[in-house]
Amino acid sequence: MKFKRIAVTFFGIVQEIMGVLAVVFAYILYYNVLEVRANLGLLPENVSIYLLLLFVFGFVSFINGLFLFYQRLENGGSSVS
Amino acid sequence: MNSLKKRRELGLFQALIIGLGGAIGIEVFVLLNVAIRQAGYTIVLVLLVCGLVNLLTMLSFSELGAAVPEVGGEYSYAKAAFGGFLAFLTGWLRWISNVFGAALAAIGFSLHVLLLAQTSLSPLDQSLLVAFLSVSVIAALAALSIRGTKQIGTTIVVAFIAVFLVFIAAGIWRGLEPRPFLPTDLKQSSGFITAITYSFLMFLGMRAIASGSATLKNPGKNIPRAIVLSAIMLIVLYSGIAYVTISTVSLEELANPDVLPLTLAAEKALGKVGGYVLTVAGVVAALSSLSTSMMVQSSIARGLSRDGYFPKFLLSTHKRFGTAHLAIIFGSVFYILFAATGVVEFIGSVAVFASLLGFALVNFSLLRLRMKKPYMQRPFRVPLYPYTPIAGIALSFILLLFIDPSAFSLGIAFIGLGVLAYYLRMVGHQRIRIAFGGMSLGIGFSIALLTYLIEIGFLLPLSIHQQFRIAVIYVLVVASTVSILAGALNIMSKI
Repeated sequence: MKFKRIAVTFFGIVQEIMGVLAVVFAYILYYNVLEVRANLGLLPENVSIYLLLLFVFGFVSFINGLFLFYQRLENGGSSVS
Repeated sequence: MNSLKKRRELGLFQALIIGLGGAIGIEVFVLLNVAIRQAGYTIVLVLLVCGLVNLLTMLSFSELGAAVPEVGGEYSYAKAAFGGFLAFLTGWLRWISNVFGAALAAIGFSLHVLLLAQTSLSPLDQSLLVAFLSVSVIAALAALSIRGTKQIGTTIVVAFIAVFLVFIAAGIWRGLEPRPFLPTDLKQSSGFITAITYSFLMFLGMRAIASGSATLKNPGKNIPRAIVLSAIMLIVLYSGIAYVTISTVSLEELANPDVLPLTLAAEKALGKVGGYVLTVAGVVAALSSLSTSMMVQSSIARGLSRDGYFPKFLLSTHKRFGTAHLAIIFGSVFYILFAATGVVEFIGSVAVFASLLGFALVNFSLLRLRMKKPYMQRPFRVPLYPYTPIAGIALSFILLLFIDPSAFSLGIAFIGLGVLAYYLRMVGHQRIRIAFGGMSLGIGFSIALLTYLIEIGFLLPLSIHQQFRIAVIYVLVVASTVSILAGALNIMSKI
């Protein structure tokens, strides 16, 4: 049980971070920071589809991670009056 | 929401103070400036129309406040009338309106403090710093104890009215220029209606009379009198302030976004001291509004949490101080986030959007309760029923059309979030969790396939640098593994 609790917390946090990073990367891609499009060989006309995929991935990851983290909060969270 | 059985001990004067105290806040200091810029010389007519529009719905608030004397305001009325989704939506809109109201107060605080203290920071950094500090300090005070903030309320109201009356008297003494009241062309008409939306929040606090209706003596007489008197006094007071401002400050000065017209007008009418006093009054108003919004926000958040729409941890109270510290901190994160934008018009517009929709729902609640429970005890009844609530609904929707489009979009997005929260509760947290677990699992396997296609050179062109290719593959492998394992953990959670 202890292993599962650690796994739930760990994957919850990692997935939330991944979700945030995906959205941050979408912004980097959108503004072409450090010539990222050329470095990754991405065609400008395909950028919108990459942005959509990154946002979907970011959203699902964040919410999925939140569910795991929420379970941790409910099991070991603060007292409720 | 708990039922309250309070003694009816407050008279007309106290009801009037409650109404004025609820309405006079930071909105006068920041939104009146925005409205004056939009409406120009027609601002007096704007305030008159805005006061009358507010009055229509305030009458509905009064009937419902006297008939449903429970903590929760609009949320309780909609719960009694409809229950279910509309009750939740009303509470949710009230919460949004308070969060943005508090963010507006934080911005107003920073604008006025920065006028007092000249620093070497850039304007954006200054605004961010002061907004962050103001929210943090008030949140800390509210989380530790709120007793002091309630007691100084009446004193602040009287002080504000005195300051404004001196300002108006000084303006009249200085001599007022005659200005045209009516819009002369289409552009001015559009600015006229937009200014009504910005001025809307300046009257909104009158609903405090309805919230306190359970403690009023002879509510059938005192509520309508207090509401009508408050509306008249506010219209006269705000019109006086606005008229002195547009008579004293030129159109060129009004157009300058770095100038606070009210403060400039006070400087011109009363000298440097006048500008200083009005700026200090702005700081006090901002802190008072921030504190009130914070308390109301935490109360609504706890109510929604108790009914299962918000996380349960918001119900926690501080062991030593007995305050809703987590609900206060929860709201404060949003205040700082939105106050950091530093855009008064945008933040004010979102608060107005939520308030207008809330107004429409209050009027709908009144219509529904009259039909559903015709024999319910009503110490006060809205005059000219059903025309009054129908007019309130129609005007709310008309004004919604003139909200800033970006604020309108954000408001709609917030409603979408609310629908999601409601759906989560209705469908059940567990089923949604399994659904997201499944999506995460699917995405994880898709990424694994994507990684394989990149590895064999099918997707990323071979021309790109080898180190980039390896880095991309590593990132995708980690993302795929985490998504699959986290998805599986959510699916395997106890049903």
